[in-house]
Amino acid sequence: MDDSGISTEISHDEFDPIGTLALIALYFVVLTLMWLFTYFVEFVGNAPTPTVLL
Amino acid sequence: MNIHAYERLWLVASMVLIVGFIVTITYGTVGLGITMVDDREETISPDDVDEDDRFQDPRVEQVGENEFEAYVVSMTFLFQPDPIEIPANNEVTFYVTSRDVIHSFTVVGTNTNTMVIPGEVSAMTVEFDEPGEYGVVCNEYCGPGHHDMEGSLIVHPEDEYSLTELSVDAPDQVGPGEDVELTISIQNGLLEDLETTVDVEVGDETLEQDVTVPGGETEQVSVTVDGDDLEPGDAEWSASVDDEVETGTVTIGDDADDGGDEP
Amino acid sequence: MTDLFVDEYPEQARLVRAAFLTSFVALGIGALFGVIQALHRTGVFRIVESTTYYTVLTGHGVFLVITFTIFFLVGLYQWAVTDSLQRGPVDARLTWSWYGLMSVGTLIAAIAILAGFLDDPPDVLGSELSADVLFTFYAPLQANPIFYAGLVLFVVGTWLAGADWFRTWWAWKRDHPGERIPLPTFMVLTTMIMWYISSIGVAVAILAFILPWSLGLIDSLNPTLTRTLFWYFGHPVVYFWLLPAYLLWYIVLPKLSGGRLFSDPLARVVFILFVLLSTPVGIHHQYLDPGISEGFKFIAMTNTMFLLLPSLLTAFTVVASMEHGARQRGGTGTLNWLRALPWKDPAFTGMALAGLVFAFGGFTGIVNAGMNINYLVHNSLWVPGHIHTQVGTAVALTFMAGSYWLVPQLTGNRLVGRQIALFQVVLWFVGIVFMTNSMYRAGLIGVPRRSAEPQYAFDYEVGVGSMTELDVQLALGGVLLFVSTVLFLAIILLTAFNTDSDPLVDGTIPPALSGPEDSPRVLDDLRVWIGIALVLVVIAYAIPLASIVDRGGLFGPDVGPFPVVVDGVMYLQHGVAYVGVLIT
Ligand code: HEM
Ligand SMILES: [Cu+2]
Ligand SMILES: [Cu+2]
Repeated sequence: MDDSGISTEISHDEFDPIGTLALIALYFVVLTLMWLFTYFVEFVGNAPTPTVLL
Repeated sequence: MNIHAYERLWLVASMVLIVGFIVTITYGTVGLGITMVDDREETISPDDVDEDDRFQDPRVEQVGENEFEAYVVSMTFLFQPDPIEIPANNEVTFYVTSRDVIHSFTVVGTNTNTMVIPGEVSAMTVEFDEPGEYGVVCNEYCGPGHHDMEGSLIVHPEDEYSLTELSVDAPDQVGPGEDVELTISIQNGLLEDLETTVDVEVGDETLEQDVTVPGGETEQVSVTVDGDDLEPGDAEWSASVDDEVETGTVTIGDDADDGGDEP
Repeated sequence: MTDLFVDEYPEQARLVRAAFLTSFVALGIGALFGVIQALHRTGVFRIVESTTYYTVLTGHGVFLVITFTIFFLVGLYQWAVTDSLQRGPVDARLTWSWYGLMSVGTLIAAIAILAGFLDDPPDVLGSELSADVLFTFYAPLQANPIFYAGLVLFVVGTWLAGADWFRTWWAWKRDHPGERIPLPTFMVLTTMIMWYISSIGVAVAILAFILPWSLGLIDSLNPTLTRTLFWYFGHPVVYFWLLPAYLLWYIVLPKLSGGRLFSDPLARVVFILFVLLSTPVGIHHQYLDPGISEGFKFIAMTNTMFLLLPSLLTAFTVVASMEHGARQRGGTGTLNWLRALPWKDPAFTGMALAGLVFAFGGFTGIVNAGMNINYLVHNSLWVPGHIHTQVGTAVALTFMAGSYWLVPQLTGNRLVGRQIALFQVVLWFVGIVFMTNSMYRAGLIGVPRRSAEPQYAFDYEVGVGSMTELDVQLALGGVLLFVSTVLFLAIILLTAFNTDSDPLVDGTIPPALSGPEDSPRVLDDLRVWIGIALVLVVIAYAIPLASIVDRGGLFGPDVGPFPVVVDGVMYLQHGVAYVGVLIT
């Protein structure tokens, strides 16, 4: 659009997506924690669950 | 192919996540023993539900020590039996089928949840630890009254649970001064013997009798109330065993006394 | 600035506009129905009878996830193919005939659905005109035959659209021997391959079983079989909604951010993974179905988990492309560059927020995919929560944002009210946060989906907050979303009539940082991927389908039809009759 505002051209080799790495690492952690919570607290805590009783 | 180092790293991390999810779920199956509703039951035509041993009379049955089975029928827009009564701390296997369209059988607030498909029987074995009353809903759209499809599941403390059924044979009328004799049949659906007391009331008279009903059997108890103790006229009677109660009326003396209550 | 799309390809622009028009009409009606549902379910305001709620819900599902999404898709793809191959179709008559067929199909299905609002619907083809069967139309619920016929016409229309694009590509290939397929066209072709493979399922379900059965030609069917065929199609269809949004994220979003696509090769790999993995997973919608063995469910679960891979890769590539843009715009720091992004541009902001919502919705999708954990969420309100974060926002909001960029190029008119457009996308985001927050939490405590009155004799055990609070959030979110939709439609309408203005749009797409020359040519050999995809489908489905047919028979164990009539008297009689049988 009119405000493309590009001030510098950055080529493939100059570009180091460190910000993306940081965000995606955060996402990894969040996904893992939410998964563990949902599985072991919400789901396993919602007993009884159909089982073969051991 | 030219893949950036960070992206390679993320590719590996993604695989770790994926494998981690699969491992968790496998642990649920193998470690926690969670089983999916599956194809272990034979198919049944919806037209044959009424002739089927399990479903013609939807009910709860004891099948072994600490093992119960509940046969449940779903249809637009209700569940049978309703309420379903089961003991806590016992294995209960629900068998659920449909007479018509697809429903679900879902005990709200628990993971006891299955689709119910006509032609199939869903089987789920669960053990409720907490006594109480649970709502049962259908969560698959089944027609305009879908939101009215509701049942309930009552989980009784183990020691208060019984599968006792009562039937009473009582006269409608006796002559003045004649004895009133009630024959009470007590059916014990549990496998254990039932040691209990039959309480009988006729008019103002109360009587008690101890009885032991062997597991899976029916016992008859006869109780006689002396006719001289009863006032002429209509007398209410009741017979109860634990929570089960049967009531009726017997007319003492000529039926001319009171309003015609002939059957 | 290059020529505008509308000046270069006026005929194509006309078709894309027509497709968007149909799409947006459906969005308007769908959103109206949506807000009716949000207010009705929560008991805030009930304008229809509860039995009519399901007519509304059928319309909401069909108009939004069939009409709105797929008409937008064909419009967008027509633009993408034309723009990236720089040529029109071989024969424009084919193009208009698929558009016509899709429109006629939609119209017929819509008539069947909307007839549900009549007190006394007319009889058509031997049964009452109604289709209160929801967009999943699980037999033995039965709609009027014209509903199914309309769906079939619609799907055949999309097949012809795919054929049209393939034909354009073949013609282009003859003129450009040895060239790599331009990325947008590559995305279109792979999406359509996935669609061909998967829509066979619903076609067989309707043509072989449901349609003849609704016409009375056969009197029984196997509900597990038709349901399985539906879900064979039903999972890939969600990628059919999603891939056009991916196209916008890969092709347009980097440009809007002021940068270039990070990696063209990975984009291709991602789309190929969707071709391979979208279909052999449908059984994950049937985790709680009897009649399907646990082994098949487990296989579907592992396949589904691997299907996460293309979306996780997309997250990286798209964010990196945005970061590239931000840094070209002078952004610095590990995270500070986020501020350098063009947040005042509604097209950018809309897509970025859509991506954010998608990242969260991806998590809820993992939960849905998690086989045994499905006991917790299956058919609870959690599922519409997931639906609205994914197709209802990741896709819908991306489409709206993309329209702010595309519509000026398709009309030659300047976008009206850029500020309002920015407000509109943010309002959508706020609305969806309220509505889905309520839906997810309500789902976890067992509130069912697809229910006009989820208020029962028992009380839900609300851990945090209260039922009233959940209801208010759902209703409020629904109203905000509705207002946002109205704003969007108004902006587009005014833009369409904003003639004699300059569009102020630059339609050029900069090349990727890492171009197709960095990837092996085999990626463009579509036949290889079709072959592998078919093998995977056969592996995943042959035995389950054989087992279902073996158990229940091809035509089922005597399952009769249950036409859904509005007043429900028939059902009541039905129920009462059975109770009668049991009592006596
Ligand atoms: C104005 C915005 C919207 C509102 C207020 C809204 C509201 C709702 C509500 C309350 C439900 C749950 C109904 C129930 O289960 O009882 C629902 C279901 C659904 N919505 Fe929306 N929605 C909106 C937009 C969308 C969009 C944009 C899409 C997709 C593109 C969408 C797709 C769906 C689908 C597929 C269902 C499930 C239908 C079914 O269960 O058959 N909605 N919507
Ligand atoms: Cu229902
Ligand atoms: Cu799916």
